[in-house]
Amino acid sequence: MGILDLVTLIVENLARRKGRVALTAVGVIIGTAAVVLLVSLGVGLQQNAADQLGGIGDLTKIQVYPTYGEFDPNTGQPIGGTMLTDQTIADIGALPGVTAVIPQDYFQGYAQIKLDRLEGGSQMLGVGTNDLGQLGVKAQQGSLELKRGTAVVGAMVSQSFYDPRLRPGQDPPPPPDLYDKQLVLNLVKYTPDGQEVRKTVRLKVGGVLAEARDEPDWSIYIPLDELTGYNTWVTGQRIDRNKVGYNNMIVRVADLDQVLDVTEQITNLGYQAYTPQSFVQGINGFYLILQIIFGGVGAIALLVAAIGIANTMAMAILERTREIGLMKAVGATNQHVLGVFLGESAGIGFLGGLGGVALGWGLGQVANVFVLSYLAGQSAETGAPPPTVAVSTPLWLPIFALIFATIIGLISGLYPALSAATLSPIKALKYE
Amino acid sequence: MSFITITNLRKSYQMGRETVHALAGVSLNIEANSFWAVMGPSGSGKSTLMYLLGGLDRPSSGQIQVGQQAIESLDENALAVYRRRTIGFIFQSFNLIASLSALDNVAFPLRFARVPRRQRHARAYELLVRVGLGDRIHHKPTELSGGQQQRVAVARALVNNPQLILADEPTGNLDTASGTAIMELLSDLHKSGRTVLVVTHDPRMTSYATHTVQLLDGRIVSETSRD
Ligand SMILES: Nc1ncnc2c1ncn2[C@@H]1O[C@H](COP(=O)(O)OP(=O)(O)O)[C@@H](O)[C@H]1O
Ligand SMILES: [Mg+2]
Repeated sequence: MGILDLVTLIVENLARRKGRVALTAVGVIIGTAAVVLLVSLGVGLQQNAADQLGGIGDLTKIQVYPTYGEFDPNTGQPIGGTMLTDQTIADIGALPGVTAVIPQDYFQGYAQIKLDRLEGGSQMLGVGTNDLGQLGVKAQQGSLELKRGTAVVGAMVSQSFYDPRLRPGQDPPPPPDLYDKQLVLNLVKYTPDGQEVRKTVRLKVGGVLAEARDEPDWSIYIPLDELTGYNTWVTGQRIDRNKVGYNNMIVRVADLDQVLDVTEQITNLGYQAYTPQSFVQGINGFYLILQIIFGGVGAIALLVAAIGIANTMAMAILERTREIGLMKAVGATNQHVLGVFLGESAGIGFLGGLGGVALGWGLGQVANVFVLSYLAGQSAETGAPPPTVAVSTPLWLPIFALIFATIIGLISGLYPALSAATLSPIKALKYE
Repeated sequence: MSFITITNLRKSYQMGRETVHALAGVSLNIEANSFWAVMGPSGSGKSTLMYLLGGLDRPSSGQIQVGQQAIESLDENALAVYRRRTIGFIFQSFNLIASLSALDNVAFPLRFARVPRRQRHARAYELLVRVGLGDRIHHKPTELSGGQQQRVAVARALVNNPQLILADEPTGNLDTASGTAIMELLSDLHKSGRTVLVVTHDPRMTSYATHTVQLLDGRIVSETSRD
């Protein structure tokens, strides 16, 4: 008996007992569907969370701040704090795995921005690199290169523009396209006696950032030394970074695995260091546990189905005792009988698995349509971004579920098939 | 040299504290192409003899030599091959598979014999024609009379072209006319060169048989041959 003959016999045996096979397979269908649907739900929730967190694409970024000591009430000077100085850049840069240390500072005055008849305002940042790509941001227009006299603006900066001469009842103008435009910045400061002093600066927009759902969205980036120049103008004092320090630094690490380690070392140097990675790891861990719990619930359903299969196979063997006796009388070996009955129960598992995968996947799609339209309505009310996906089935899941269901079938058939194979032929033939 | 040599064959069953001797020392020489009627009252050991000869059960002691093979010393797999190649069994209760057509029932043993599907059906069809059921090949057992069912079983017993046909009360469940038809069929098999052993209570069978053996309490009490 060749393997093909065995498979045909199994398929034909299943086909001539359609009702019984279908009834048993229902258990497997439900179990497999539960596994597929619940794990898909877990995966979907995780993807959703990742989307909602602004696609925390850049986990190799560490944000470093100085620590602020207490103020001495007598002198008014801070004591015990740490500053971010040029020495800090050297110290952190020397840590293994660190690829870049980029100091940042904010403009300390007020900048009014003009573009034709529109006015806007955003915070202005100076960064100590001429490649903004090192901050982990992406450009939607233009380049990330910072040159003297140019600026790179965040995705939402154009939203801050309005028409000051807009009359009541008029529609506001659409946000302007800032790319490649010449911005006129009116820097404003006040003298100690309350006099307003203005300084006009022209900046060409060399690039517009893609939306990051983070601080960069509302920022205008210029080279750090230019910003230092403007701040000198605002404060009227030369800025010595070894005395006042930088506002903060962005530290880039070569390898994801090193991020937490480097963060800890920076903290040990006496600075405050933050990375989204510890947060994301927590989130991922949570969803992994969720998937395991969901998968476990499904697996329990499958195990219950397995008992169903074992029961059906045991019943089938009782019903077909004489058939087994006959198989042996006409020359089937014990292995033939074992193969046929194992194959049948694996077949029931496989068929149930197929049905379950189809059902679980289908239910997931239906859930997506309903849940998403419901949540879209909800987020329209709250203003939060709508979720993109509720249930997501990765390709490995149906394949795994199908194999798992088949193995469950095989295992549940093991005992009944073994007892069928070792049945004495004459006892089987005499069975009523 | 006989085709089958049975020597001092015993089969005992333990029933609680009692030992039942289904066969209590049977010796028999069966020549190739002979036709034996095995007779005797119920419980005399006829079925037991057939099962042991057919390799469906193992003797408690004694030898069964069929052709070159000592059946009592074959292992499980060799015994299965012996049943497949050498033996055609016919049972009183037909033992057809209810959900299969006559054609598939006849072809069933070939599934374990590496015969291609097309050939299986061709051979099964040929045999059904030979037992007079060429127009019933797609009928299920329940759609056939008892006599027709037993003819399907005879065709099935022949499908592997065995040398030895063992029939345990093949006419026991049949009316007289159907029984006669089966007897003629078995007689034809004998005439075509096979060795046939039939357990029967019907004295008419002895007129077809070349030999008749009478069993009582697991022993041979008489053995007659017609030539
Ligand atoms: N499995 C068994 N267990 C116990 N006794 C059995 C078994 N099979 C047969 N016997 C006994 O062996 C004897 C012969 O049985 P059997 O060969 O079936 O007789 P026959 O076919 O001539 O009616 C009977 O007494 C029967 O009760
Ligand atoms: Mg009997």
